[in-house]
Amino acid sequence: MKRKITLKDIGKLEGQMIDNQKAGLSELPAPFENLDDQPDIKELTASQKAKFDISLDGVSAIGLVKPQTKEEEDEFVKKFLSGLKKLLSKENNWTFLQPLMLSLENCAKCQNCSDACPIYTESGRQEIYRPTYRAEVLRRIIRKYLKKEGRLLSKFTGSDIDLNYKTIARLAELSYRCTICRRCAQSCPIGVDNGLITHEIRKLFSQEMGIAPKELHQLGTVQQLKVGSSTGTSPKALASFIAFIESELEELTGKPIKLPVDKEGADILLLHNAGEFISWPEHVEAFALVFDAAGIDWTLSSKLVAYDSVNYGVWYDDVQLARIAARHAQAARDLKVKRMMVGECGHAHKAMLVVSDRVVTGDLNIPRESAIPLLEDIVLNDRIKLDPGKNRFPVTLHDPCNLVRLSGIVEPQRRIIRKLCPDFREMEPHGVDNYCCGGGSGFAIMDNANFADWRDVVASRMKLKQILGAFKDVMSPEVHKYVCAPCSNCKGAIRDLLARYELTEKHGIHYGGLVDLIANAMVDIKGQFIHWDEA
Amino acid sequence: MWLLLLTYACLLIVTAGIAWRTYKYASLPVHLRWELYPVAHEVGRPYGGSYLEEIDWWHRPRKINLLGESSVFLREIILFREYFHSNRRFWSFVYPFHLGLFLLVVWVVSVLTGSILTLNGLSVSAASPDFWLQLIFFLTLISGVAAFILGIFGAVGLFVKRSLDKDLRNYTAPIDYFNLAGILLIFLTGLLFWIIEDPSFGAARSFIQGLITFKPSEIGPLMTINIVLSCLFLAYMPFTRMMHYVAKYFTYHKVRWDDEPNKPGGGLEKKLQAQLDQPADWSAPHLHAGQSWSEQVKSNGVPDKAEK
Repeated sequence: MKRKITLKDIGKLEGQMIDNQKAGLSELPAPFENLDDQPDIKELTASQKAKFDISLDGVSAIGLVKPQTKEEEDEFVKKFLSGLKKLLSKENNWTFLQPLMLSLENCAKCQNCSDACPIYTESGRQEIYRPTYRAEVLRRIIRKYLKKEGRLLSKFTGSDIDLNYKTIARLAELSYRCTICRRCAQSCPIGVDNGLITHEIRKLFSQEMGIAPKELHQLGTVQQLKVGSSTGTSPKALASFIAFIESELEELTGKPIKLPVDKEGADILLLHNAGEFISWPEHVEAFALVFDAAGIDWTLSSKLVAYDSVNYGVWYDDVQLARIAARHAQAARDLKVKRMMVGECGHAHKAMLVVSDRVVTGDLNIPRESAIPLLEDIVLNDRIKLDPGKNRFPVTLHDPCNLVRLSGIVEPQRRIIRKLCPDFREMEPHGVDNYCCGGGSGFAIMDNANFADWRDVVASRMKLKQILGAFKDVMSPEVHKYVCAPCSNCKGAIRDLLARYELTEKHGIHYGGLVDLIANAMVDIKGQFIHWDEA
Repeated sequence: MWLLLLTYACLLIVTAGIAWRTYKYASLPVHLRWELYPVAHEVGRPYGGSYLEEIDWWHRPRKINLLGESSVFLREIILFREYFHSNRRFWSFVYPFHLGLFLLVVWVVSVLTGSILTLNGLSVSAASPDFWLQLIFFLTLISGVAAFILGIFGAVGLFVKRSLDKDLRNYTAPIDYFNLAGILLIFLTGLLFWIIEDPSFGAARSFIQGLITFKPSEIGPLMTINIVLSCLFLAYMPFTRMMHYVAKYFTYHKVRWDDEPNKPGGGLEKKLQAQLDQPADWSAPHLHAGQSWSEQVKSNGVPDKAEK
């Protein structure tokens, strides 16, 4: 039997702390009971192993390159401690200091949160993925190295942990083995939030050491601020996407439907996740169709940053969060719209409506809303003609964590689906008790080395079980089934999950957004809006 | 006399300690929103919904159910519902342990009440002619004995569970066993002094009278040990994570349920603006150390070096 990993091991164990062998993971239901039918996490090549630090679990999320000299290692430790001090100071971290201090100082270490974490349970209860593991490592580093408890006292308080390159490198990787879904926080009787501690560790690495996954930072927030979108879409490219979508709409409806861009004084500035224009243009079409039919006064912006609702800063860097939030608001101010509205993107909801609510002030403090209640109003008040008979296929709803548990938007999407989808079945659990899709906190777009394998096999494992559970009585490939995910990143994660397990071709499970179901039920659209070969 | 002086000193330390810890948390800056649903003061959304489910919520009056919020908080504090629902085995020890502590507070308050009444010439005993005096007597008796028994059961249970359960043991430091053992000793010596020295808690009332009048009273050795242990524990507690009962107010009301929107021109916006105007000192290449948050936001964060 393997020895149980301890907290001290993070700075001591040689080699890889754990592996993620299939046999050790949680069991899967039919049709994946057999291990041979389950995908693997591919081992890295010799050159990848030589390049990246994979000493945590054989996976590299952030692509940390190992230091070459002892001096570089010492500098790494020094910078980490400098960042840690800033993380605990009012000036540098007023944004989250109160919740952080409360969570650092009051954990009773009862482990009540462990079973709430799908990554921990589905990994076969790997100790390093336990929600308290990384939090407790940070607490112990603070007590020993910032509060400078002596050797005896640190043994007594349990803070005798080694702070070296190994500890920090593993802690950096470990902060990207949690989707910050905050299910653990929900289960804590004291209110300690280990998800927040993950968020703060990420911030320390980004804001002090410049370490973050390239997909979130260089290709994410930096690219969005510089080029206009985290997808790399420039305003010129946006214009061509819009032209394409308009031609599709005309083909579908037989009449020209324009996507309003930069319309001054519009009621609503709609912000889509720019990934929709590239990966799911039909979703943007569906919004345009529904808004046009309902007579909504809306516009898109062509201004840099503002045609992409994403704000990856919410996962790893407060300054990047504020920069993007300010640019979204500036576009709304310049267009003189009455309100900003977030489309179907979970983290953009949390970023714009919740977290960055407190970083925009003065003339940037413009009303901010979710598009989902407006869609509910359109559907439930019969503002457009809809026929639920067109949605006569099994539908389940994935609850994006950022939308439900973290923004409190739970029922509008359900009321829409209950009205429009006669064969709606809930996943269990759902609503504010939902499980993350596995793509949360940036995982859906991160693909360094073998990280996407780990995500699909471990982080999304619980969602796979939930989807299979919802459709267990209709698994025949002839029956088209629809996983409704009102969030771009969740859609991305579910797309990859379905592909990894070949669930679309072998079992007829498809996925898509919420507005797509509304468009599909529109009486004015001939045939089906949803094309099963695309969904 | 030394026992009185020790008690005064420890009461002073614990009062100052709790005040300091409360002030420390309360004086931390307003933070970004980080609520977690369900938020207990939401009206009509028991499934965990928020005002963000409404169209045009910005212009509608915000409804807050403070009574509902207090009721959820009190139920959690009194019944430990989260543990009850998610970890019944742990609840079966942690709940009696904390119930013992709550009842200990009830016992101290009723001993104090009885002492004040006795100082005013009233007799607090089972034979008192007055119903209220009898009530105080029996409340003292029942709360004290129940506190000691529940506390011993809970503390022993938690000690054993922490020692035997691998998942808990891995995270339990010597200080955690020390704290549990300290509380266990207080409950144990309390039970022993009740059985052996003070079955009616009359001596306990005499000790408190002595504290009020600054006149030492005659008490037995077991009660002396209990008072010394309790005093030392009280003086030590504010500097440990056993203060989570203070923290819990903040984690729930100031983080988990803090969904106050930042409306233009409001007091919250002013506070936030002041914080945004402070300089920050982060050193990563995409940040500009020394600039205020507001200035940082103006830049697009692309490091100069990278552009060159």
